[in-house]
Amino acid sequence: MKKAKPEGERAKSVSDKRPVEYSQRWTISHKELETWLDGIAAARTLLAPRDVSGVTLYRPVANSAEIAPVFTRPLLSVKGVFFPPTERMFTIHKTGLEVQLEETFPEWETVVFGVRPCDARGARLLDAIFLNTNPVDAFYARRRENTTLIGLACKELGPTCFCTSVGGSPDDASGVDIMLYETEGGYLAQAVTEKGRYLIPGGEWKETDLAHQPSAAGSQYHVPEKDEWPGRFKDDYCAYVCPTCRCFVVRDEVLAPGEFERLRCWDSCMGENYRRVAGGHKPRFKRGERQRNRFFCKFYYFPEQYGLGAASACTGCGRCIEVCPVGVDVTEVLVDMEEQV
Amino acid sequence: MTFEPKIIAFLCTWCSYTGADSAGVARLKSPANVRAIRVPCSGRVSPELVMRTFDQGADGVLVLGCHIGECHYDTGNHRAAKRLPILHTLMQYAGLEAERFRLDWVSASEGERFSRITTEFVEAVRSRGPVSWRIPPEHVLAMSRQMAAAEPCPYPETDCTGKTDAIRAKAKELLFSGAVACVIGYEVGPRGRTRPSFAYTEEDVERLVWNPEVTNNLTGYIPVKFRRSPIGPPEPQKPVAVVVKPCDCRAINVQLAENHYKREQIHVIGVTCDGLRGANGGLQARCATCQDRVPLTCLYERDESTWVGLGIGLNEKRTFHLGRAWHHAGRCIGCNECERACPMEIPISLLNRKLANEIEKAFGHRAGVTVAPSPIVTVLSGEYKEGT
Repeated sequence: MKKAKPEGERAKSVSDKRPVEYSQRWTISHKELETWLDGIAAARTLLAPRDVSGVTLYRPVANSAEIAPVFTRPLLSVKGVFFPPTERMFTIHKTGLEVQLEETFPEWETVVFGVRPCDARGARLLDAIFLNTNPVDAFYARRRENTTLIGLACKELGPTCFCTSVGGSPDDASGVDIMLYETEGGYLAQAVTEKGRYLIPGGEWKETDLAHQPSAAGSQYHVPEKDEWPGRFKDDYCAYVCPTCRCFVVRDEVLAPGEFERLRCWDSCMGENYRRVAGGHKPRFKRGERQRNRFFCKFYYFPEQYGLGAASACTGCGRCIEVCPVGVDVTEVLVDMEEQV
Repeated sequence: MTFEPKIIAFLCTWCSYTGADSAGVARLKSPANVRAIRVPCSGRVSPELVMRTFDQGADGVLVLGCHIGECHYDTGNHRAAKRLPILHTLMQYAGLEAERFRLDWVSASEGERFSRITTEFVEAVRSRGPVSWRIPPEHVLAMSRQMAAAEPCPYPETDCTGKTDAIRAKAKELLFSGAVACVIGYEVGPRGRTRPSFAYTEEDVERLVWNPEVTNNLTGYIPVKFRRSPIGPPEPQKPVAVVVKPCDCRAINVQLAENHYKREQIHVIGVTCDGLRGANGGLQARCATCQDRVPLTCLYERDESTWVGLGIGLNEKRTFHLGRAWHHAGRCIGCNECERACPMEIPISLLNRKLANEIEKAFGHRAGVTVAPSPIVTVLSGEYKEGT
């Protein structure tokens, strides 16, 4: 566990690969895409948006037929691929006075198909915390290194999307390894990174020098009229669907006599006990206080702490708006905040 | 190699534990699979303990206590006799074989009986093999059929201005006379979704509405309004007014029975309801949003409770959902807010409905019809006294 430096160097090399810009493009048909994805699924773990009892989620698929035919964006973001909801960090074996720790690193290679630009941007924001800041998270780094993201530009914006307002764009290719743009009768594919280029079958696809058509970049999301803003909302739970929420809780659990595991699990700052300190004091006892912390974290603390400059840690995917049981709207809160400052 | 089940036996220290000793003294055989846990009374065996035991890999759980009428604490075993059979029914509904759980009575001198019960139990569990249970899909199907068969609500009322005006007028009157500090009602959000709203001033009151989409159950906000931080001086608490649909009003009775607040601290603005639009929504996620949205408190705080493992595996999910349902036994009013809140479309109320039926059968109790606490869930926020 005390190998921060070499891990750090290794992690740096991952993030340094990102800016390499490839501009090779290919046009492919639907059929070619299917064959390609089937090939990937046979050799590696392929995750793709899949319909799971009425909800679209990134799930492992055996072949391209299992992929949801139409989807805007899955309900849970792609962050779970690098930063799973539950992760065993290591197991502890205790024999007499001797304690042995055994780390469990994920080794398999994963390819994720259908990553929307907002999710890819979320992954890059998580890199800022887990990879580019010491101590480097070895589990995250390993998963990130073993994962290739195949992006898919959005043809249209969903009802709650607002990526264009937070510096993103529906055809932003900066966070993925391969980017696909829908065209008439097929796709335009672009290799963005070396890792992506490696996955593309060289001779089979037809190369092109066409530039991609602007997808949904020009369209506008619905900006509510100004005097519609109400205030004072106090409710919970949006951190699990957010592509950039990264709080976690660690606990040791018993497996068998003398055997334990250390688990890491997603946490949510909206929970009442999240900020509990010794003696039972809860500095953010009221829901409003927790809500305030969440918005300040996303738009102020996070960018400040990890040097994002003027950019926020929100990717504009609109999931929190969609799932909120009481209709808290982040765009509304932001305008409200701006008015008050 | 034959399968040897792991059996956890909770034994009352006054009778069954001594009974096990007398079995030993009499040189009677009892199986070695049984791991005995000594408890002060069978009433101490809370359902959470049983669920946690299964969660941790037990193949069977045996609870032995004193015969009814012989409890060292008078009524401790009555408590076990009341709630454990209901737990048994719930676990069977969730897919556990009936043989894997047993509640029985053994007195201190009944060594032979102890030996017989444990042998029988271990044999029964051994024949069933290792434990593996899931909610049978037919239960989920049955519920969705039941929901589909229910009459779709023909919503005749399209003009709600009358009700909206009446709510606003009442809210203004209450706020201006100083009778209440806040009116909790509904408003329409900027994306056209109806959502809860808190009105403190005249401007706020103008936002309050009533329409066919007022699905949220607002009673959940009342206890929150009256909760105090565990430290610091108590803040003065003025009464609160709340807009309530007929189906939600039962939650107020449950909250009153559990001493969350006094009746005179709230002003209930009841509104008749002609039905709502879009009020209806295998177990997958565990994010606890459902538990947070319901108007009642639950012991399973997501990040705090050690009753449930931290991981998100099948065992933990099952224990969580069973426990969550259990903590609402006799308290759940069926407002279905949990299911509406769930982004994963999990049929959360399935277990709640089952338990509500069981409790009505066993105790004739329906949650919130009168101000009475649940017959089987311990009330933690103070003792209930008739007429207070």
